[in-house]
Amino acid sequence: MIQAILDAISLGGTYALAALGLGLVFGVMRLVNFAHAELITISAYILVVTNDLPLLVSFIIAAVVTTLLAVAMELLIYRRLRGTGPAIMLIASFGLSVLLQRVYELIFGALPKSAAIAPWMSGEVKVAGASVTISSIATVVITIVILLIAGYLIERTSLGLQLRAAAIDFKTARLLGVRSNRLIAAAFAISGVLAAIVGFIVVVENPQVSPMYGVNITILALVGIVIGGISSLRGSALGGFMVGVILSLLNTFLGNARVYAYSWLFLLVLIILLVRPGGIMSKANEMERV
Amino acid sequence: MVESSFSATGISKSFGALKVLENVSITINSGEMVGLLGPNGAGKTTFINIVAGYEHQDSGSVSLDGNSLDGMAPHDRARIGLARTFQSGRLFSNLPVSENIALGALGLGTTTKIANERTNSILEILNLDPLANLKAGSISHGNARLVGLARAVAANPKYLIMDEPAAGLNEHEVPHLLDALSKINKDLGCGMFLVEHNVGLVAKACSRVVVLNTGNLIFDGTPFDALNNDAVKSAYLGDTSLEETAESSKK
Repeated sequence: MIQAILDAISLGGTYALAALGLGLVFGVMRLVNFAHAELITISAYILVVTNDLPLLVSFIIAAVVTTLLAVAMELLIYRRLRGTGPAIMLIASFGLSVLLQRVYELIFGALPKSAAIAPWMSGEVKVAGASVTISSIATVVITIVILLIAGYLIERTSLGLQLRAAAIDFKTARLLGVRSNRLIAAAFAISGVLAAIVGFIVVVENPQVSPMYGVNITILALVGIVIGGISSLRGSALGGFMVGVILSLLNTFLGNARVYAYSWLFLLVLIILLVRPGGIMSKANEMERV
Repeated sequence: MVESSFSATGISKSFGALKVLENVSITINSGEMVGLLGPNGAGKTTFINIVAGYEHQDSGSVSLDGNSLDGMAPHDRARIGLARTFQSGRLFSNLPVSENIALGALGLGTTTKIANERTNSILEILNLDPLANLKAGSISHGNARLVGLARAVAANPKYLIMDEPAAGLNEHEVPHLLDALSKINKDLGCGMFLVEHNVGLVAKACSRVVVLNTGNLIFDGTPFDALNNDAVKSAYLGDTSLEETAESSKK
């Protein structure tokens, strides 16, 4: 039972981090960045290929590369397309996602690449008489720490206030003089760091990295930000957390029927959206059209 | 020493065949509070949209302290000292009032410390302290107008353009606004350009009034002279608010 709860919290936390990264970029650009998946994937790939290095060094390399890729996406693609309309931006992000998957295939091969990342985390410890994996505890601790840091950054700093304002009404934030290029680049950089951390968390549990490695988690994180409230960073994180927790609990308690876990999850999502179209953090009648 | 001024010179604008502004020139000096009056369709909104950078003029020029602002985007104009309020308020409804105001300063790159100091000072000047921690979306329309004004003032502008700040306010809220405008002008000393339908408010708040009618500048002088000017009266013919204000002004 304790393992199930820890698994649920750790998966919820992981999706919360992924959703927060997506929500940050959506907030400042109104862009659903499908290529966020490839940021998670590159982080996981780098952790695998640098596995011979000390874990901290390996993670720092992964974080730097992932963040640089995130900022490069903004500078080379999205900035040039800004103002062309949401449909074009959406297609561009989808195209970039597919393009990066093929690039990864060329660089790393189509078959999964694997390595035992931090094998000591697969060990078990006793908590309240029950055996739980170290990785579950580590994931919960990491996600709590990162969410606290992200919470401080977003709630207590000038950059965070500007990001929150931009998430609500980017045009007005810009009219107040907020430097949009700098703010958007910062959002992409933070999103990249969060993707690198998510890549680390998931690769410890599942070290079989393939070109589409980050797609599943990104889609579920997107579901999370929609049910949490697409214009609220808190809502995004909460929505992501809920999706992870629900999915994990469904997988645990459905037993042999776990094949239907996604069906139940999406049924629940549909019900939430029917009751609160703007997400759980919005007012009942508030809905943003994107 | 060159005195600071904000000028729009020879502004003309047409939308297709419709001439909205024709060779309009207005200068506002530092610390001056100028009211822009005009009946519906006079070109007031188009004029302030042009001076704030939201629309481009067909001819003429806008300058601040002698430097041309032509072609400059609204947010760049904000950075060099030109702030404006919006008719719709445009507050961040999910953020507290204090953070809404702080954003006026933070957007221009001031430090958090200075932004907080300015926010506290403006909250006090405008008697908005009790609302500081309330979400902007939860406060009354009148208070939202004052918060919008406070946010613009937090940018510490040289010149402040206000787009119908009294629109939608009830008779109890207008005196509060008048008081706030007077305090801002007195305490912060920025030049203020008040675009308003409420003739009484402009007459009480401003030392100078300019009047537009069908895209032409028809008057530039004191509020008292404006209310007794034949051309202005003619432009407002049938507008009882002007006659009532002129009567009360005489009294």
